[in-house]
Amino acid sequence: MTRDGEPDVAGGPAARERWSRLQQAFHETLTVSADARDASISAHAQGDALFAAQLHAMLAADAGPDTLIDRGLAVAARDVMSDDAGTLPALRQVGPWRLLRLIGQGGMASVYLAERADLGSTAAVKLLHHAWLSPARRERFSAEQRTLARLNHPCIAHLYDAGSADDGTPWIAMEYVEGESLTAYANRASLTIAARLQCMRLVCEAVQHAHANLVVHRDLKPSNVLVTAAGQVKLLDFGIAKQLELATDDAARTRTGMQLMTPAYAAPEQLRGELTGIYTDVYALGVILYELLTGQLPFDLAGRSAASAEALVSAGTAERPSVVARREGRERGLGATAWAELDVICQTAMHSDRARRYRTVDALLRDLDHFSRSEPLQARPDSTVYRASRFARRHRTPLLASAAALMLLVALSTVYTLRVRDARDTAVTEAARAQQIQRFTLSLFDGTEDSGEPGDSLRAVTLIERGVREAATLGREPVVQAELFQTLGGTFQKLGRLERADSLLQQSLRARRAIGSRHPDVARSLVALGLLRVEQARLPEGEQLVREGLALATATRPAGHRDIATATSALGRVLEERAAYADAITVMREALRLHVALDPRSVDVAAAATQLGNDYFYAGEYAAADSQFAFSLDVARGLYGDRHPLVADALINRGAVQFQRGEYVAAERLDRDGMAIVERVYGPDDPRTASALTMLGRALVAQSRFDEAVPLVQRALTIRERVYGPVSPKVASTLNELGTMALRQKHFDAADSCFARNIEIYRAVYKGPHNLLGTAMSNRASVASARGDNVAAERQLREALVVFAQTLPPEHLDIGIVRVKLGRSLLRQRRFAEGERESAAGLKILLAQTSPATSFVTNARADLAIMYDSLGESAKAAAVRGR
Amino acid sequence: MPPAEDESAALTVGADHDSNDAARKHLDEVFSLAYEELRRLAASVRRSDASASVSATTLVNEAWVRLAATPAVAHTSPLHFRRIAARAMRQVLVDLARRRHAVKRGGPDAVFVTLDHDIVADTGAELLSLDGALETLAALSPRQAQMIECRFFGGLDVAETAEVLAVSEATVLRDWRAARAWLAAELQASR
Repeated sequence: MTRDGEPDVAGGPAARERWSRLQQAFHETLTVSADARDASISAHAQGDALFAAQLHAMLAADAGPDTLIDRGLAVAARDVMSDDAGTLPALRQVGPWRLLRLIGQGGMASVYLAERADLGSTAAVKLLHHAWLSPARRERFSAEQRTLARLNHPCIAHLYDAGSADDGTPWIAMEYVEGESLTAYANRASLTIAARLQCMRLVCEAVQHAHANLVVHRDLKPSNVLVTAAGQVKLLDFGIAKQLELATDDAARTRTGMQLMTPAYAAPEQLRGELTGIYTDVYALGVILYELLTGQLPFDLAGRSAASAEALVSAGTAERPSVVARREGRERGLGATAWAELDVICQTAMHSDRARRYRTVDALLRDLDHFSRSEPLQARPDSTVYRASRFARRHRTPLLASAAALMLLVALSTVYTLRVRDARDTAVTEAARAQQIQRFTLSLFDGTEDSGEPGDSLRAVTLIERGVREAATLGREPVVQAELFQTLGGTFQKLGRLERADSLLQQSLRARRAIGSRHPDVARSLVALGLLRVEQARLPEGEQLVREGLALATATRPAGHRDIATATSALGRVLEERAAYADAITVMREALRLHVALDPRSVDVAAAATQLGNDYFYAGEYAAADSQFAFSLDVARGLYGDRHPLVADALINRGAVQFQRGEYVAAERLDRDGMAIVERVYGPDDPRTASALTMLGRALVAQSRFDEAVPLVQRALTIRERVYGPVSPKVASTLNELGTMALRQKHFDAADSCFARNIEIYRAVYKGPHNLLGTAMSNRASVASARGDNVAAERQLREALVVFAQTLPPEHLDIGIVRVKLGRSLLRQRRFAEGERESAAGLKILLAQTSPATSFVTNARADLAIMYDSLGESAKAAAVRGR
Repeated sequence: MPPAEDESAALTVGADHDSNDAARKHLDEVFSLAYEELRRLAASVRRSDASASVSATTLVNEAWVRLAATPAVAHTSPLHFRRIAARAMRQVLVDLARRRHAVKRGGPDAVFVTLDHDIVADTGAELLSLDGALETLAALSPRQAQMIECRFFGGLDVAETAEVLAVSEATVLRDWRAARAWLAAELQASR
């Protein structure tokens, strides 16, 4: 393409040809002896001086000193990356913050002290290095910002502000903490062991808060824990924190991306680049504790390669803190027994097998507290944690098993806390009791190892049964025994083993009555047993027990006491089950008031608001219901973050309101969010999972997505039949969904048998009129109607109306719907005058609702128009049509 | 055909099987990866950890294993992937050098620059010269420019380079020696 005479542009054919000749000359000249080189160069250059010069330079360079290319890429990289701040743009101001001086530098970012001129406040402003080069780093930096945004704890430095500088460098402004590292502070202040443990406690609380918000820090070390001059502990630097729900591809990322954590505090799995989690932070806390106690790190990793560091840490044979302390003379007045316990705490937190560490930071915290109060630890060398973990790992249903064990531990520790709070005057007795309960908990796990029994015997229930046997031997401690019976009964009830729960709660009640029939503890037993009766669908007994318990609590406790609030909530629950919604609303408003007075943002408040919302919901007051659910959601999120069963409940409840309003897509979204949380928390076979499955199935059905819905609801039915037995309102509600689906799919026989079975269940359970019985009848009538059997439909609808008349206010939506349906069945039998009465009455009720059920309104009007025509009332027909 | 086109094709390999988003994400990954690899190398030199700097593309190799299953990379061979990574490493490194240069020279407010000017200035300037010289070389002989990129920036050995460029090892050795000598002469001249 080049024409003759065109200048020799770079890359043109002439230039290429010249480069070709130059290389040829270069190679040939290399082969000649040194003294023949000049001749060779001249021969090749053929009078072209530039060519000769180039060839000469190449030959010199070939033999010459190393260049960049020979020094290698790594050296080049070191040189241009040698100082991260050096490559930062010259920023003096980001957003409202004026940067004052560099206060820290890490691999990712530099931190500056900054001030806000307008407010006079200071902050630590973090700037991302090389922001323009690595999208992954930008993503991580913004992840850190999101992480900080969701954490709000006095011991965590919090986020003020974030943004991008003019040149695109992202920045985060955080609380500026001036202090020294935890270990430096402890040593300079010569803290006692007790004071060191108190610091450790605060760190654990901060980390636990992060975990509760599904954030794992992953880089815990003393230099990330500062202590201010005022003694305030602050956890910093969530730069490589991980949000748990984003954990999917994290294993790979940790390995390839960024081995950024500090090896000395890194858990073995972290050094191996494996998946990290809560257990990783537990390990690091263990190392920090070790260092606080001994002044040394457990492993000397200095100068070791990554592989040998990992091997050393994985072997897990650090010297015991007690040994180091003795050698270094740092025992600080603590005896050998106490040091042995500290050994256990450190070793448990730092176990190289993560399954044998403390399962949660809370567990570590509890043991720190046990130590401080000279109580037995939960961790024992080779006992509790080890056995519990063996137990969980040996079985295919680890979640269920460990969740049950955990539930028990939590229940018992709750018992302990409540008792102490309630009975300051008997503190001494209580402490002894608490200790017994602790020992008792530990004993549950003894002897579970290697018994050679089939796996099933080790299931959670077996553990609790063993607990029951142990408790039975505590005859000399009737107070403790009764407490344990109630706790164990409650645990069984939560596991869906209602009969076992029954016998234990009765034993608890008997034991307490034997101590004193007017004791407040008797009231607690009565309420617990009453609520069990409600779950067993034995409502009159349940109500009697709960009312008795409430009366006793009111008589024996000061006004506003927690026991009274709890019993009031329980009464609300009974009334709700009895469908006495107006009464339930009154009672629950009082219960909510009591709980708010005790603590305005507590879990009890969230639960009471949910319950009140349910009552409004069933009473058809959807706006009031939704506002209670929204309040409950807000309280639950404030307490637990986004992933907690209470949050799930509130989401699903709000979904139910949306469903009722015909907003099915919104309902589905809320249900899915709730469902995801519930299944993750409780596992796939839990009744609560069944509830969530049912709600989601219903939202899908309403959108005619049967193929997605049916398997979900079938699964829910199987779970519930197993847990509650075949005759239970919970089974009935699942059958109702399945029947509705079958009806929508025109599987009439299947639908009819579902609803017929429901009617049987409700009759057997409620032994009298109940609005759910009416609903089942009305639904069965819809099957008949769809089949064209209008006579049967009419009969069933009239039965339903009789039930509703006894259980619901006359203007209730359900009555309106049934009357519209009845009108239609009469129309189809050409009984126009009767039909007109029903449809018109139904329509009036529907139109009085704040959000009328549109399809029924449309149906009612269409039916009325036909009937008026048939009755010769054309003006009325036109009026109905004209609207 | 201008060589640049070949390069950009190499960088977006697999993109035709995918949406723009996926291709973009893939590119982001490669660049992030190149950056981390360079950091790792720099750190290994600082620690004088010889074994780490010898295996110059550890992260790239690991990333290949990780990415091999993704659609964007499924049609790419491991060697080709390293070739792409080499290109990304060059761009990242040169970008670093350029920014650094700009900060050093242009920033009257460069209050935070507290570094050893001498070493850094040399390597940074050399990198920029090398980048320019490579552009010139690419115009003269695309294959030799790619060879430098593969070996210097990508850490490929002679056999691997031969395979990527579909030439014999002898050709690689011969081309390399001439190209290196020419580039070295250019770098000397630009000082």
